[in-house]
Formats: sequence, structure tokens, C-alpha cells
Amino acid sequence: MSVPPSSATVTPVDAGSKLASTSERMSAEQAANKAAEQAAQKIQTPAIRIDGLRKQFGSVEALRGVSFSQVCGQRLALLGPNGAGKTTTIRCLSGRTRPSSGTIELFGHPIDSMGVRDQLGIVPQEIALYGDLTTIENLRAFGRFHGLNRKTIKDRVQWALHWTGLEDRAGSLVNGFSGGMKRRVNLACGVLHQPSVLLLDEPTVGVDPQSRQKIFTMLDQLHRAGTSILLTTHHLDEAQQYSDQIVIIDQGTVVAEGTIDELIDQSVGRSRMVRLRIDRPLDRLLPSPLSKLGRVGSDQLSTRIDDVSKRLPQLLTAVHEQGYRVCDVDVSAPSLHDVFLHLTGHELRD
Amino acid sequence: MTWTVLQVQFQRLMHNRVELLLTFVVPIAFFSIFALIFGGGIGSGTTPRIKVVAVDLVGSDASTQVMTGLRKSAGLRFVRDREDEKAEQSKPLDPESAQQLVRKGIATMAIVLKTESDATSETSLHADLLSDSSDQVASQVVVAIVAREIMMAEAEAQEKEFNVFSKPADAADADSSSGTGDVSTTEAETADLAAGEPVTLIDVIGEGKSNPVVSMYAAGIAVMFLLFGATGGGGAFLEERENRTLDRLLSTQMSMDQLLLGKWFYITIIGIVQVTVMFVWAQVVFKVNLVGHLDGFLMMTIVTSCAAAAFGLFLATLCKTRGQLNGLSVILILTMSAMGGSMVPRYVMSERLQQMGLWTFNAWALDGYNKIFWRDLPPASLAPQLVVLMTSALCFLVAARLLALRWEAN
Repeated sequence: MSVPPSSATVTPVDAGSKLASTSERMSAEQAANKAAEQAAQKIQTPAIRIDGLRKQFGSVEALRGVSFSQVCGQRLALLGPNGAGKTTTIRCLSGRTRPSSGTIELFGHPIDSMGVRDQLGIVPQEIALYGDLTTIENLRAFGRFHGLNRKTIKDRVQWALHWTGLEDRAGSLVNGFSGGMKRRVNLACGVLHQPSVLLLDEPTVGVDPQSRQKIFTMLDQLHRAGTSILLTTHHLDEAQQYSDQIVIIDQGTVVAEGTIDELIDQSVGRSRMVRLRIDRPLDRLLPSPLSKLGRVGSDQLSTRIDDVSKRLPQLLTAVHEQGYRVCDVDVSAPSLHDVFLHLTGHELRD
Repeated sequence: MTWTVLQVQFQRLMHNRVELLLTFVVPIAFFSIFALIFGGGIGSGTTPRIKVVAVDLVGSDASTQVMTGLRKSAGLRFVRDREDEKAEQSKPLDPESAQQLVRKGIATMAIVLKTESDATSETSLHADLLSDSSDQVASQVVVAIVAREIMMAEAEAQEKEFNVFSKPADAADADSSSGTGDVSTTEAETADLAAGEPVTLIDVIGEGKSNPVVSMYAAGIAVMFLLFGATGGGGAFLEERENRTLDRLLSTQMSMDQLLLGKWFYITIIGIVQVTVMFVWAQVVFKVNLVGHLDGFLMMTIVTSCAAAAFGLFLATLCKTRGQLNGLSVILILTMSAMGGSMVPRYVMSERLQQMGLWTFNAWALDGYNKIFWRDLPPASLAPQLVVLMTSALCFLVAARLLALRWEAN
């Protein structure tokens, strides 16, 4: 299966090329070197750099100085609750919303420069397709809208049908598709022109787990081919599993940025959460230092411990000494959920 | 349960302004328009006066009296075109030029007064009424008015003649038998006049046309549906905006200019095909001579479709939602169609309403089609209609473009 080559990918020069003269060979080598240098430079330059982005809608300040950058070829998840400013950020990037202030650069160029946005692929949250057209008609139309020529459209449409697994539904009207199939076509229409950076706004809203998995498999293929992917989501597991870098955004500001490990280290640390279920509800508060473990009337106890091998037996012994029998023990590593809760002070769904 | 259903339905109605508008405002608007058209009533002060020209080929006292009577008639308005007015002093109107004025639509009827000899070689006043039979009301009204004036003038002339013979001084020396004979002749003539027809109605436009008014109705209905089709096309634009496809399209290499032009061309082409199909049907089934007027038809259809498409896009960009567009377009199109002559011929409307009708697409488009199919005028005569419709198209396109600015980026 063919995948869209990234703009950062260096086109290899065929060593056995039939260049007749030495000068021609030299010239080809120089061109290859130059291309490699340019590609290397491009890789070093952030794919996206956003600095101090603000957007005011009347009295509502949707973005309050958002700043982050995305490395070339990276998968970045913009995580936040509804109304955090994720979609506004994406819209500023795509040019659909004019920022009140701040700068956006794509591969080092201001986003509004001529032709720069052509490197972007945009997949909106809504199913922005012509429902009364077939899959192939939609793909061809969007290929033309992206300025592709007839030959390229033909090739890319074939690729997209294969990529989405909708070859057998090429002639079916999109309106008759399931949510997941529509999402796949929606996605394909955004990558026909082989963008270097793909912006996805909540790409899995309203799809079943299988379709969701399929979508992320498709995105993985693009990522392996070198496409930088920026997706917004309010699904913690999506951000955790399918991204290299996470930017947590809340109320129009970036709360934290980094890999999942970095975020954990920066916030909740490396401690483990231990949850115990005891044989009966607590009839009195446990004596110190166990007093914070649970509340009266509950059979659940929980605490955070740093050294599991040393502290867990001690904890079990202490509970046993208080006359309770431990039925279940659950030890879990800190998750993005814990990080989010720690950083924002509220649940993602609040 | 039933009560709850009723309550919910009322609540939904109160939340839906468009439905409220369509339910309560549109019927009132239409009632008002038709009340304005027909409520004035024939014969009232707002009744349209029939545009006529008159030619007196007799020049007698009686014919002059007829002309004076016609000029005084409240139902007639004497018109001449500008060129004729300039030349009025030097060149009096003749039957041929009067007929041309009717053909051009400047006058609805031309009255040609002449003398006619009967079987007894007696001459009497007679009027040829050169009519545009598309206005069937005008023909009947003018026939009645002219016949009345001629009969009154003839009767007066005969009364004068009778009075001369009935004077006692004259009667003594006069040939009494002759006088008696004259009286009896006059009575006979009066009877003939009363029984006969002092006017002849000549259809100068509808002659030879198999179905004279069907082209007018074809044009009227076609233009109305052209406008509905155009706003429907504009509505698709709003749907794209509502489901964010518009955003996506504008994120590609496409600009709003290209998008609007693409939509405009599409709606225009669909409109052209729609009207053409309708007229082809009219030719096949109702014998409207489309092939014979192809040049003028194409000119009018292309320009009218361009204007309607631009109007549809203007309305679409003016509205925020498809629901708003539906409500507004129904009100506007039905109002324009009523005032512009798509539903009721404009000649039955008061002059004021006819003037107001000129602010609608329908009136200009129908006038153009009327010139082609009814009056058989050459395409050059369509210039005013083409200019007005094309200018409207451009104005609405520019307005639509300016309104669409707010959708480009916020």
C-alpha cells in the first residue's frame, strides 16, 4: 500500500542511475546533498510553532496566549475539555479564524504566507462531505479542490479507497454510511494532497471502538510515512496511546506540555495509586497515619505510595491490625487522568 | 397525553420564527397584494387606464366629436412614443404607425376612425380597433367606449339633420315627402347602427398564433420557478456552511470568489435548462413558436437565469440558516411573482402597482418574453430588459460577495 510521502522525506538518489558523464553525476550528487540539507533543516525546524496566540470573541476570550511547538514528524495531541480552546487553535491554524494576536509558523514560515497553508491537511470535527455524492465522487472533488491534476487525483483516489478500506463502497452514497465509515472518508478527503502536517479536530467523535481503532491505524500509517499529526481530543486514552507529545489546554491557556512521562514527572510524580477493598465499611476513622485512607461508611481505601515493594506490605499489615480483612488490592501507575486532575484541579469532563 | 402533545406543538411553533412567519405573516402579505391588485376594482380611481392611440381619417364634425369624447373618457389614456411626439406637429399619426405602436406595446389599442359605405351607399362613421389581444379586458372596454361614442355622434348628427327638417319655416317650403323619407331613412340608419357594429376589432398581434396567451403564462411560471430554483441553489450554500463543508472548502486552495462563481454558474445553467425545457414543452404541446424566436429566447433566458441565480446567492448570503432563507424566499418570490405579473397579468393592475412591479425580476423578464413571443419584436428591442436584468445580476453578485466576507474568516 502506498502512503503519502512526507515533505521531510529525502528522495533517495538511485546509485545506479544512468548518468553518462562525471559532471552530470556530480551535479546529481550536489542536488541530492542540497535536498538532504534542506530536508534536515526542515526536520530541525518545528513543523508548527505557535506563540502567544490570543483570540477574543466579543467578551469571551477563547485563547489567552497559547504557545507550543510541534516537531517535524511528531504526533501531538491537544488535550482539553470542551470549550478549552482546542478547536479555536485548529481554526487559527487552518486560517478559518483570525487570531486577535500571536504568531503561527509552519516550517518556519508565517502561516499566512503565500502557499504555506497548502502543506496543511485539515480534517474537521464535523462530517464535512457531500453526503449526496458517492465516496469516489467526494474524493475526486476534494482532490480537485486541493489543486491536484487529473493523473494525481486518479492515483490518490485509488490510494485513499485502499487506505480507508472502502474500495467496495466506492460507488455508494456517503449519506448511507455508518458514522465510522463517514469519518474515514472525511479523513481521506483531508490527506489526498499529501500534506506535511495533518490537523484533526476530534477525529473519533461518535464512532464505535472498532472504527476508532481503524482510524488510528490509518493515522499510524501516515505518521510512519513522516506526516506530522496534530489532533485535538478530550479522550485521555487517545492522547496517551496515539501521541508522542501532549499539550494540555484549559480555559484558553496551555497548562502543561511534554511527553506522557514528562507530564507525570512534572505533576504527580512516579508514585503509585493503591486502592484497597476491605471486607466491611469502616465503622470508625482509622488512627493516624492511616486516617486519610478512607472515610467512615466506605469499604474503599486509597492512597499513593512511592516504593511499592516496601510500602505495600506495611500498608496491608496496618489495615489488618485495625481488624479489617483486605479483599482486593489494585496498584496503578499514574495516568494522564491523574496528571490532568492534578494540573487543572478538575476532571476532563467537568 | 393529547394535551401535552398540543402543548409541545405550540411550544415548537413559538420557538420557530420562520414557521410563525409562514403561518401568519405570509397569508396576510398575499391577501394585501391581491387586495391591492383587484381590490381597487374595475372602474374605480385606481383602475388602469387603457393606453390607446387614435387616428381620425374622416375629419368631419362627427369624427372630431368622437375623438373629443374618447379623449375625455376616464378609461382611456392617449399615448404616443417619444419619436412620434417630436414629429407630432409635422407628421400626424397614420394607421400604419398606430399599428406599430400597438405592436411595440406602447399602446394597447389603436383606434382608426374612417367612413364606411353601406348597401344604400350611405356613409357612416366606423372605427377599426387594432388590438393587442393579450389584454382581453382592454379590447372589450375599448370596443364598448368607441361604439358608444360613434353612436352618440351619429345620433347627434342625425338629430341636427332631423331638427333642420322639422323646423316649421323650412317645412312649409320643403318637400314634405322628402323630409318624411329622410326621417324614415335616419331611423333606419339609427336602427342599423344600433343593430350593426360601428367598430371592427382587428387583432394585429395575435393573428395566426395558435395559442396566443400560452407563451405569457409559460414565461410567468418559468420565471417564478427560476427564482425558487435559484434560492434552492443558494440554500445548498447555506447547508454547506451549516455542516462546515464551506469551512473545509475554504481551507483548500479554493477562494470564496471561485466558490461563489461556481455556484452562480451552476444555478444559472440549471435555470437556463429549466426554462428551455419548459418552453420546449410549450412548443410541443401548446404550439408556442420557440424555434422561430430562438435568438431572443436565448438572450432573455440566459440573462434572466443569471439575474435569478445572483438573487438566490444574495438571499443565501443574507440569511444565517436554511430555515431563514426558506421563509424569506417564499415571501419575496411570491410577492415579486404577484406584483411582477407571473400570477396575474400586470395590465389588470392599477397603474401605480404596475409601476411598482417594475422593481421585480418578473416584470422585466415577462416584458422581454412578451416582446419575443407575443409581439414578434427583433432581439434589439430587448435592450432595456437585458440591461436591467444584467445590472441586477451584477449588483446582487457583488452584494452576495460582500455579505460572504463574514464567512471567510472570523
